[in-house]
Amino acid sequence: MIIKKIAVLLVAAIVSTSFIGCSSSTASKEIKIGLAAPLTGGSAQDGQSIQKGVELAVKMANEAGTISGKTLSVVTVDDKGDPSEAATVANKLAQDKSIAAIVGHFNSSATLAGAPIYNSAGVAHISPGSSAASVTNAGDYTFRVITTDAVQGAYVADWAAKDLGAKKIAILYENTDYGLGLAQVLQKSAGDVGASIVMQEAYEVGASDFSTVLTKMASTDADLLFIGGLYNETALIAKQLKKFAMKDLKIMGVDAIYSDALIELGGADVEGVLLTGYFHESAENKVAQDFIAAYKKEYNETPGTYAAYAYDATLIIIDAIKNVGNDRSAIQKYIAGLKDFQGATGVSTFDANGDVVKDPLRLTIKDGKFTIIK
Amino acid sequence: MFTQQLINGITVGGIYALIALGYSMVYGILRIVNFAHGDIFMMGTFLGLFFTQSLGMQFYIAFPLSAAATAFIGIFVEKIAYRPIRIADKLAVLISALGVSIFLQNLAQIIWGTETHAFKSGIEVSTFKFGGLILSNIQLIVIFLSCVLMMGLYFVVNKTKIGVAMRATSHNLNSAKLIGINTDRIISFTFGIGSALACIAGLLVGIYYDAVFPIMGYSYGLKAFAAAILGGIGSIPGAMVGGFVIGIVETFGAAYISAGYRDAFAFGILIIVLIFRPSGILGKKLVEKV
Repeated sequence: MIIKKIAVLLVAAIVSTSFIGCSSSTASKEIKIGLAAPLTGGSAQDGQSIQKGVELAVKMANEAGTISGKTLSVVTVDDKGDPSEAATVANKLAQDKSIAAIVGHFNSSATLAGAPIYNSAGVAHISPGSSAASVTNAGDYTFRVITTDAVQGAYVADWAAKDLGAKKIAILYENTDYGLGLAQVLQKSAGDVGASIVMQEAYEVGASDFSTVLTKMASTDADLLFIGGLYNETALIAKQLKKFAMKDLKIMGVDAIYSDALIELGGADVEGVLLTGYFHESAENKVAQDFIAAYKKEYNETPGTYAAYAYDATLIIIDAIKNVGNDRSAIQKYIAGLKDFQGATGVSTFDANGDVVKDPLRLTIKDGKFTIIK
Repeated sequence: MFTQQLINGITVGGIYALIALGYSMVYGILRIVNFAHGDIFMMGTFLGLFFTQSLGMQFYIAFPLSAAATAFIGIFVEKIAYRPIRIADKLAVLISALGVSIFLQNLAQIIWGTETHAFKSGIEVSTFKFGGLILSNIQLIVIFLSCVLMMGLYFVVNKTKIGVAMRATSHNLNSAKLIGINTDRIISFTFGIGSALACIAGLLVGIYYDAVFPIMGYSYGLKAFAAAILGGIGSIPGAMVGGFVIGIVETFGAAYISAGYRDAFAFGILIIVLIFRPSGILGKKLVEKV
């Protein structure tokens, strides 16, 4: 009797699940975009703004109307900023054939772990934050909306030496593919513009004590400190530099330190920090202005760089879907051929390696605000 | 530069030592490694942040209050996560500790967000210069307070009645119970003291670096754990020595060799010492019972 009941229940369960299966496959009124970002772990702060940028872009696109009767949705996975975790979630996204293209990953090491998987599955992915030089050769399906460290490193070397007259540069970089890449490029391009590197030291991401390296730097005759890292550490370095009153020198970074968190955390000590940037609230382009307004309305905070990059990456994918539908290889071909795409972070064109080409802005912090140096 | 780096090293060493005490005391009594200790340290820091910034308290009220609150967190964690499985395999307690660690980290991220917060403590930073040497009042506070607290703890353990009970419990938990010591209370007391010290270390980190974040417990916890092992786990003076040795070695390694290998120096010295003295610098030799 009991066995019979169980059998009936089992049959009922199988039938009902198969119906559920049917209903979801026939009603694919959705086009899915994958998102792989570090939502937890050391880069969680950036991962979450990336998520906000992507979700905002999709929400705005859905509000503007459907794409041939279909709405967009986001499938989000957490790579924890960890390469092995990135490979796992990349497999998950790549195997789900209903996903048209992917925004991800953030950390260069995670992108490098995910890229072979996406490339062999034949699905395009656009990284909103991986600027390491090695991502260039990751494959035809790997794109990024952030310029390589080579571009920014050469640019800051030129700026420091030619316009600021800095001849002796100290470099502090985070001990990752990203930081090391920046340091190497800067070291190489400093020689080209007649500046020398007087100190080059690495620190661990999440480190809070910089007194040791700053003491070491004080014994050199550096006139500019370049930081190859993110805003949290930059704020700490600027603070400890002031706190220990060791030396007054210029601090320079790249777009990775463009975040309100830098000013919140650094306060008066980060005044005068110089940085390159692609995204700024006073940038005179409509996409950026619309994005900032919508972001403020949706989340009640000003967007950071990576939210803007993620927004642009999503816009490009949506643009591709609008033009060629949700076929994976057609999307890859479309993105590869994309020229002069206006996004929130400037005008993007992809080169043969899937790297973006665009010019940075020169920014500084003045009266607690990022301002463009004219 | 040498003296300046020595001061830098002693400052971080003092913080490691304060956290290491918690690991060492708990190990001494229960023979377990409380892997959640680093995150209790972090919770203490964030409680300090919460009391000073969200509730607007003055630091001289907020800091003792957060130390007390953290002591309760430590006691509570022991009660719900370790006590029920204390008689089980030691490995079960270890896994439970890792679980608590993940739980506290995520709890802090949910409550306070994932970002790094400035720790506006209300304590003004001023610096003194002697020749080429730069000392800040915060550095002096860190060094002074860590030494005083460690001496205080040493006094409590060696000269008071509850200290005698603690030592008895650490020698043999069951025998201590037989002679009428309320071992559960002693264990709670140990967790409370260890957690309060970790909280004070966290507040010092907050004041000194003016930045706190929810996963800060991991790296500090790991270094302090190494310090406890290095000094001889279970030994209170050992934890102090271990903390200072790790702080000074990693600072000198970073200063004179390469800052990128900072952590490698910290753990490298641990390996070297353990090769020659497996029980740590001040640890007692354990005789394996057959």
